[in-house]
Formats: sequence, C-alpha cells, structure tokens
Amino acid sequence: MKKISLAHIKANHKGKVADIAGGDNLKARLMNMGVYKGREITKLSHIGLRGPVVIKAGRSILALGHGVAAKIILEHE
Amino acid sequence: MIKKIYLIGNPNVGKSVVFSRLTGVQVISSNYPGTTVEFSKGYLSLGGEKIEVMDLPGAYSLEPTSNAENVAASLLREYPKNEIAVINILDSTNLERNLLLTLQLIEEGFPVILCLNMCDDAVHKGVHIDIEKLEKILGIPVISTCAVTGVGIKSLIDRIREALPVERQKLSYEERWKEIGRIIDEVQHLEHRHHRLREMLEDASVRPLSGLFVAAGVIYVSFKVVRFIGESIISRITDPIFFNFIQPILEKMAAHWNEEGFLFHFLIGDLINGKIDFKQSLGLLTTAPYIEFGMVLPYVISFYLILSLLEDIGYLPRLAILLDNILHKLGLHGYAIIPVLLGFGCNVPGIMSTRVLESKRERFIASTIISIGVPCVPLQAMIFGLLGSFGGFYVGGVYLVLFSVMLILGLVLNRIMKGYSPEFLLEIPPYRLPPLHMLAHKLYFRIKGFLVEAVPVVLIGVAVINILIYFNIFGIVTGIFAPIIHNLFGLPKESIIALVIGFVRKDVAVGMLMPLGLSAKQLFIASTLLAMSFPCIATFIVLWKELGFSYLVKSTLIMIAISIIVGTLLNLALIP
Repeated sequence: MKKISLAHIKANHKGKVADIAGGDNLKARLMNMGVYKGREITKLSHIGLRGPVVIKAGRSILALGHGVAAKIILEHE
Repeated sequence: MIKKIYLIGNPNVGKSVVFSRLTGVQVISSNYPGTTVEFSKGYLSLGGEKIEVMDLPGAYSLEPTSNAENVAASLLREYPKNEIAVINILDSTNLERNLLLTLQLIEEGFPVILCLNMCDDAVHKGVHIDIEKLEKILGIPVISTCAVTGVGIKSLIDRIREALPVERQKLSYEERWKEIGRIIDEVQHLEHRHHRLREMLEDASVRPLSGLFVAAGVIYVSFKVVRFIGESIISRITDPIFFNFIQPILEKMAAHWNEEGFLFHFLIGDLINGKIDFKQSLGLLTTAPYIEFGMVLPYVISFYLILSLLEDIGYLPRLAILLDNILHKLGLHGYAIIPVLLGFGCNVPGIMSTRVLESKRERFIASTIISIGVPCVPLQAMIFGLLGSFGGFYVGGVYLVLFSVMLILGLVLNRIMKGYSPEFLLEIPPYRLPPLHMLAHKLYFRIKGFLVEAVPVVLIGVAVINILIYFNIFGIVTGIFAPIIHNLFGLPKESIIALVIGFVRKDVAVGMLMPLGLSAKQLFIASTLLAMSFPCIATFIVLWKELGFSYLVKSTLIMIAISIIVGTLLNLALIP
C-alpha cells in the first residue's frame, strides 16, 4: 500500500481515499458529493499540468480543481 | 393537512421538469447545476384543493455548503413539518449519491415521498431498482417516474398524502454512507453494459487531448450552424416579407405625405434613390423594425437554439473543465465560461448569470470582461452585415481585437485585485438528449425575453434619434467631441452620433454608420469601439444592480480608458 495524492496518481488508476487534508468546509462539500474516507475513486483525467482533475466516485463524475485534488490522499496498490 | 409541497433533490435530477408536470407552469430548466438559485412556485390541485408547490434550488445535503443549499435548507424549514409534504426527487441512474439527502430528510422528521426520476434512462444504463424493497427499507412511499414523458406523475400526485414522518435513527456522515451502501446492495441490481457511443463521447470530452478536439469541433460546428440557420431565416422568411410585402405598402403610404415634413422624416426617414432603403432610411416604420426583425432576430433565434441545445445535452460543464486552466489565469473559475457564452447572445443574461460565480471579485472581473469584450448577437449580426462586405479579414479582426483585450484585461485585473479565485468542485452530468418540448419552451422564453427588452428600446431609440436629428441637436454634441474622435480614432465627425446611440442600442448604432460611407478601416475601428465602449443601457442597468454603484463606476472607467487606448492604437497601426 502506497499513499499518493489524487493530483499525482496517473489517469485511469484507482485508489481508496485515506485522508482529506483540507478544512471542514472542503471535507463537508466532498462528503456531500460522495467523496469520503474509505471510498474508492478512479481518476479519469487531468487537464493540463495544474488543471482540474476528473474522477469517478460511484456512478458520479466529478471535476475537482488541482488544489482540491492535491489535498485528497489515496491509498493504492 | 398539507398546506405546502416542496420539491427537493440534487442538481440535475430533472426537478424542474417534474415541477412543470405537477403545476403546469413552464419554468426554464437547465442541465447544469447552480443556475437555479432562484426558486419557482406554482400550484397543484389536490382533491379540489389548490396547494402551493415550491421548487427548491438543487442541493446535495441539508447541511449546506453552498448558497443554493443554504436557500433550500432554510426554505424547507419555513413551515411546521405537519403542514407540508416533501417530494424528494432522485436520479434513478445515480441512486447512491442521491440517497444521502433522502436519509437526512427522513432523519429530520420531514414527511417525505420519493420520486425516482429518469426511470427510462436507468433502464438504458442497465440499472434496476427494486422499488418495493426500497419502500420497505425506508418506510416511505417510492414512485418511479419519467417526468420527460409524464410516466408516473399521476401516481406521484395520488400518493402525496401518504408522505408521513417516520422514525429513523440519526446517523453521522460516515455511518450514513455505510447505511446507503447497505441499502444499495439490497435494492439495486446493475446489469453489465458495454461502453456505448454516449459513454465514449462523455469520456473523450473530459480528457485533455481528445477534449480539446471535441471542444474545437463543437465550437466550430455551432458557429457554422448558427450562421446557416440565421442566414436561412433571413433569406427565406424575413427578407421576402420585408421586401415583397411591407415595402410596397410603406411606399404607397409614403406617396401621400410631404417628403419634407416631420411625419415623413419620423416614420419613413430618408428616401435613398427615391426608394425606401430598410437599412439606411432610419425611419420608425422602416429601419427600426428591419434591424430588429430582419437582421437581428433571426440570429437571436439560431444562437439561443444552439446554446440551449448544448446546455441541455450537458456539454457546457465539460467545456468549463477544459478552459479552467486559462480562465484561472484571468482570475476566474472554469465555470465562468457559461456567463461568457450567454453574453454572446445578450450581455444582460450573461452578466446576470455571473451569479453562479462565488466571489464578488470573480463577478466583477467576469462582468467587466463580458461588457467590454463579448459582442452580443445584435451587434455581431450588424458587424457581419456591414463589415462582411469588405471581407472576412475585417470581421475576424474585430473578434481578434476583442479577444486580446479580454485576455489582457483579465490578466491585469487578476494581478491588481485582491482576493483569490476559488477551486473547481463540480459534478459533471451525463449527456442527455433534451426533450424537444422543453427545448422549445426554453427557446420561447429566451426569445420572448429578448423581444420584450429590445423592441421598445429600439423604437424609442430610433424615435429620439429622429427628433434629435430633425431639430439638429446633435450638432452641438458633434461640435464638442468631433476633435477627439477625428484626431484620435480617425473617424468623421458624424460618426459621433452612432457612438452615442451605441449607448441605447448597439445594433441601431452600427446601422447608423451605414449611410456615412466610411472606409473599411474606419468601419473596423468604429465597430470595435462600439463593441468595447459603453454597454447598451440595459447592460448598464444590470451591471449597476448586480455589482453596485462603486463597481459600476470602476467598470465604466476601465471601459472608457480601454476604448480610447485601443481606438487610438488601431488608428495609428492600421494603414488606411
């Protein structure tokens, strides 16, 4: 098990959310949209170098700013 | 005793469609979240009683993290719980995420009835939900609907009275998601489906390389189609009506009036080579209706048709993701592309929709950029009509100048204004084929909005201009400003009238440049200046309302400064 941020993991890779290194408001917003500790998510793409990250959580597709993605720490094989 | 019915649900679950099915009131519903921070009200007759139905803004949760959720959560608590019924609308294709709000509603003791919408979509995607089991687990009525076709709406209405509060233990967030996982395992059965064309397109449009190709293709095709439809309406419908039908009538009328009199000047204008020229005569019955209905309206129709289609298919959020990088450099969020695109139709809805942006700073930057750099359809139609005859080079030049000004202005504003631009956190809805009647209604409302706003202003504007010209009042204004525009911009002094009129209506103003016989260069500069300088009066008022007086002043000063600089530079840089 390695830990890596969502901003760094490669596209088309899966990981389990290990931690969200952000404030309560960010955590709550992500939680409401179905991204929370223990949840498995797939990174679909990353637009540009510091652009937004597109992920799949359950059946939802979400776009997160680069800064948000950097705060989401994933565990993956 | 139900006194009020609330509709609540996540963004993009077809809530507005259910609302219009229930109440018969047609509201504009869009396929992107955030635009319906306003809520709609209507009435439903339930067993002979008229009950108010309120469509709440889209919300993911009762514990608000956004403005829309705040509004939804507080409206919901306005009435005592025993006097209301809550219809919780869910997207059947994404039951898991939608159930969070449902559990919160039940835990809080609201009388809830579930409406599993988009049931046909779920079948297509191989999602099967055991409705009876879900009813048993939750203890509340669950109805499967497809609001677009109307399936299930009747049973939804029949069962509203069954919405009653049920006991349920309050859970923490983590426990709630676990509980949802358990419920999903029991009631949902996924049939494995191979990736089909729609999923492939959804995927391609959010990947960096293929996404840019898709975006370039979509924008190019949209532009071509808007022009094609607009031109077809003009050449097949409006021009024949004006030239074969209205012109002979007007000319017969004109024959009875004295050509030198005020009435003739006011209603018909000047005859060009002894005939009425709809583009140049400048009368209240000739040029005013021709500009609005013969040159502008066809493009307004085709523009809003294509934009509404892109919106309802769900393409715009994807475009927002792709452009987020660039827009961040301008101090904006990728989402700002939506107000900008709307602004290309008319600046007024464009600036109003900057409400989707979170901070005042972003709203100021976006509104200023829109009012300076984004030409509305009326203006574009006139620029094409006028400059187009000198070649596409000049038309392209106007866009290039405006685009560069937007970029530079955004970069500068982002540097000098304090604050930050918030990060993206957005759900991307699946592509959906919009129901045609909803598209038609949206188009109807947008065109009606345009006509209601534009036609009176154009008529009054042309009337005032005619009076001013007839009594030679413009002579005074011309005297004061003529040196400026002549020396700085290289424009003849008569064009000051057009630039002033630009404050009333841009399309009429470009029309007024026509009889002046300007050279291509002069016309190019004048069109660019008209696009950048003062927005039309309607935009001005909206800027004031949305941003407040001090920001309006700032925005206006920026506009004046940029117009003078760019006008002078163009005059110096271009060879006549």
